[in-house]
Amino acid sequence: MNNNIKKLGYFFIIIFSVLALYLGYLNAVLGPKLATDPHNRRLAAAEEAVTRGSIYDRRGVVLAEDKVVGGVKKRVYPLGSGTAHLLGFVSQQYGRAGLESTFDTYLLAMDQAGRIQALVDRVLGRQRYGYNVTLTVDSRLQSKAFQLLGGRPGAVVALDPRTGAVLAMVSSPSYDPASVDAVVRSETTMQNGRKVEIKTTGYDLLKVQTEAAPLLNRAARGVYPPGSTFKVVTGAGFLGANPGGPDRVYQCTGSLVAEGFVLKDFGVHGKIGLDQATAISCNTYFAGMGLELGDEGLKKAARDFGFELIEYDKDGQQKGGYPVTGGEIPYNPGTLPKSRMPLPEVASAAIGQGRVLVSPFQMALVAAGLANRGVVMKPLVLERVSTRNGIVIRRISPDPLLTAVHPGVAARLTAAMEESVLQGTSAPAALKGVRVAGKTGSAQNPNGTHAWFIGFAPVEDPRIALAVILENAGSGAYEAAPVAREIIREYLR
Amino acid sequence: MLLAGLFLAAGALAAYLWRGGEARLVFVGAAVPVLAFLLVGVLWQALGFRADQYLLPLVAMFSFTSLVFLYRLSPGYAYRQFVWLLVGILFLFLTTRLFSNYRWLSQYKYIYGLLGALALIVPIFFGIEQGGAKSWLDFKFFHLQPSEFVKILVVLFLASFMSENKMVLSRGTESLLGLNLPGPRVWGPLLGMWGVSLILLVFQRDLGAALIYFGTFLAMVYVATARSLYVTLGLSLFTAGGALSYLLFDHVRQRVNIWLLNPYNFIELGDKEYDQAYQIIQSLFAIGAGGITGTGLGAGYPGFIPAVHTDFIFAAITEETGLMGGLGLVVLYLFFIYRGLKVALEARDDFSKLLASGLTALMGLQAFIIIAGVTKLLPLTGVTLPFISYGGSSLVANFIILGMILSISHEARCHEQQH
Repeated sequence: MNNNIKKLGYFFIIIFSVLALYLGYLNAVLGPKLATDPHNRRLAAAEEAVTRGSIYDRRGVVLAEDKVVGGVKKRVYPLGSGTAHLLGFVSQQYGRAGLESTFDTYLLAMDQAGRIQALVDRVLGRQRYGYNVTLTVDSRLQSKAFQLLGGRPGAVVALDPRTGAVLAMVSSPSYDPASVDAVVRSETTMQNGRKVEIKTTGYDLLKVQTEAAPLLNRAARGVYPPGSTFKVVTGAGFLGANPGGPDRVYQCTGSLVAEGFVLKDFGVHGKIGLDQATAISCNTYFAGMGLELGDEGLKKAARDFGFELIEYDKDGQQKGGYPVTGGEIPYNPGTLPKSRMPLPEVASAAIGQGRVLVSPFQMALVAAGLANRGVVMKPLVLERVSTRNGIVIRRISPDPLLTAVHPGVAARLTAAMEESVLQGTSAPAALKGVRVAGKTGSAQNPNGTHAWFIGFAPVEDPRIALAVILENAGSGAYEAAPVAREIIREYLR
Repeated sequence: MLLAGLFLAAGALAAYLWRGGEARLVFVGAAVPVLAFLLVGVLWQALGFRADQYLLPLVAMFSFTSLVFLYRLSPGYAYRQFVWLLVGILFLFLTTRLFSNYRWLSQYKYIYGLLGALALIVPIFFGIEQGGAKSWLDFKFFHLQPSEFVKILVVLFLASFMSENKMVLSRGTESLLGLNLPGPRVWGPLLGMWGVSLILLVFQRDLGAALIYFGTFLAMVYVATARSLYVTLGLSLFTAGGALSYLLFDHVRQRVNIWLLNPYNFIELGDKEYDQAYQIIQSLFAIGAGGITGTGLGAGYPGFIPAVHTDFIFAAITEETGLMGGLGLVVLYLFFIYRGLKVALEARDDFSKLLASGLTALMGLQAFIIIAGVTKLLPLTGVTLPFISYGGSSLVANFIILGMILSISHEARCHEQQH
């Protein structure tokens, strides 16, 4: 019997060990996630006790801070609606959004060291402060971009191609983050014999504007057809598949036939190579490239830049939700249909029509990848976290995300994109004394034409890569390219 | 013992600083239990009671943790728990005095069976409902939960029955489907008693107790017979029973469904699911908030968890003392089991061995089930954390169990000395 008792003891040791391991997992691994879950009432409770950390731009300009106005603690955003989608908001009623939510752990000092500090502060009766967060964002560039959009629906994403650092991320139309909780109007009605007060907040008003959708962060979560800007992806795929081959020369007759489907170009361009085709944005040239790549080759090229494949049901609707790439700024990756595309669709996908969809953030990553010799860096927006006394507790270093193309391919495409700025559709993006590479796009859609521009500068040592979109504004050359030019000018000045 | 005393002193100091004032109260609250434990220790020494030296300090540690945290959560509960603790210590002492000649207890096994069944039936008709379980009797001044005491009777019954029929049970007299099974006369009363208590528990809707009873039953069967066949049979019976009650009873289904929810992505939960799982989610938030060292006593927000002072006290302790505190408790319970089983090993006869290991398994399973429940390792069932959760019946019953284990230990050691 003693043997059995011992075995019973081993059994208990096993189940208690499982329990201990699980407890450790729960506490140490899942703990941080649980701590910042928006449902967690501890967040609001912590908020009461802590002066939330400030958010600074790369030069130390305040983007968000707690201020006591008339005895009430308020979150103040000096750039107002210009940073609304980037920073998000903090609201008692509607939770938190944007970077305010992403960096809650820091802003409320909820890490292990912060907990100990909190205990010390409590014993000594001191005010508690969250950590300050410094972003890679350039507030001047951010303001400039927002101003250039001028309230038109659209978005700008600017990155440092060498590090993946987000320099500016703007979405328009925007809203005032401080007005989310504000009661705009209050009505009293009788309901079941009781007086019921119905309060309408700023958020309620924003929520119902489905057309303008001011709450939508178009830069990261807007999904558009890329139009001709996608041609650089097609070109990258083709050059990658034919390394060291001679420049593809093609006789543009103004149209292209794929399995009986006629794809019309806007002109007859004659005999052209890659540089010219990119400069004038010849549809048949790149559609032909797409046909040579085929369904698989084109998808591989896109996936090399981080695109994903999604399923469509019979009615042409996406199955399940649209994919989201996690990280400091969650964004929608570009997508292509998972099922095999027939040749006519391959041809139109190669020029960014059909079921190719992208977010401006994704297109900025494409531009940045080409600028950085083919390596796409992991996007990052947090530069460092520091205590109130300036002690840096976390600093972020850049990491490569993926290798999209070989350096040689990137260089070849860069030359073609520079040609586009020098004597092609991207000419409005040209800057005196700065070599700019770019590609326009005018993406037709049922409601009009989206004006696109992607590019980077200076070509010899790129420091900024960007994507600009103006919804249904018309031609990429006349609407988007000038916006990009002014942003580049502002940044490189 | 000294360590436990220091622990309570520190806890009392913290509680005093935190609540401010009520100094005399806190002092009395801290000093009296320490003195009571010491008194029991001294009395035992004087009376030549030579039981295991570790169990009492362990339980003192649990009790002090209980007082400190109940005081922190809600002083009202701490005052009542304080009274119950003294009653429990008294019962502990009485048990060790009256129970010292415990072997005669094995004679009256059917009386326990009957008593236990009776104690379980009464609340069905006269009981009141608390926390979803109808297992309480209302005695004006306090509420009594008979199932807390029935568990002692169950272990007594099983121990006496199994020690008597051990040979038959482990060898088997009849062959069924190629398996040697004992005759129905032997296992009939065993299973019968078992079925009755399980059914009663289902009617009382006290899932946690049913789980503990059954686990203890299996543990004792294993200790008595070493036949994994029984354990396998028992487990399959239990699985079948569990599946059946999942289909039949709403409250069981609800618990299991909550357990199956994706727990770590609450954002994706709908409002309805979120409301249903509210309690366990709050518990997980509390545990997650603790980190390694905890927020410190009084600095967390365990008040967000409903029923934090009874079933969820472990979550509160983990929030404020962190992973270290939570693991510490797990280790202490494991140590308690170790000492309890050691007593069983030292005991001289089958009845004592079965009784000691059964009572220890009871304690261990109870601690495991509630800690696993509040951490969502297992579906949540409402049972108390032994010696720590608020609850008079449970506390007194646990002290009686401790007394019985110590008596067995004392008996074994006395005998050893004689040889």
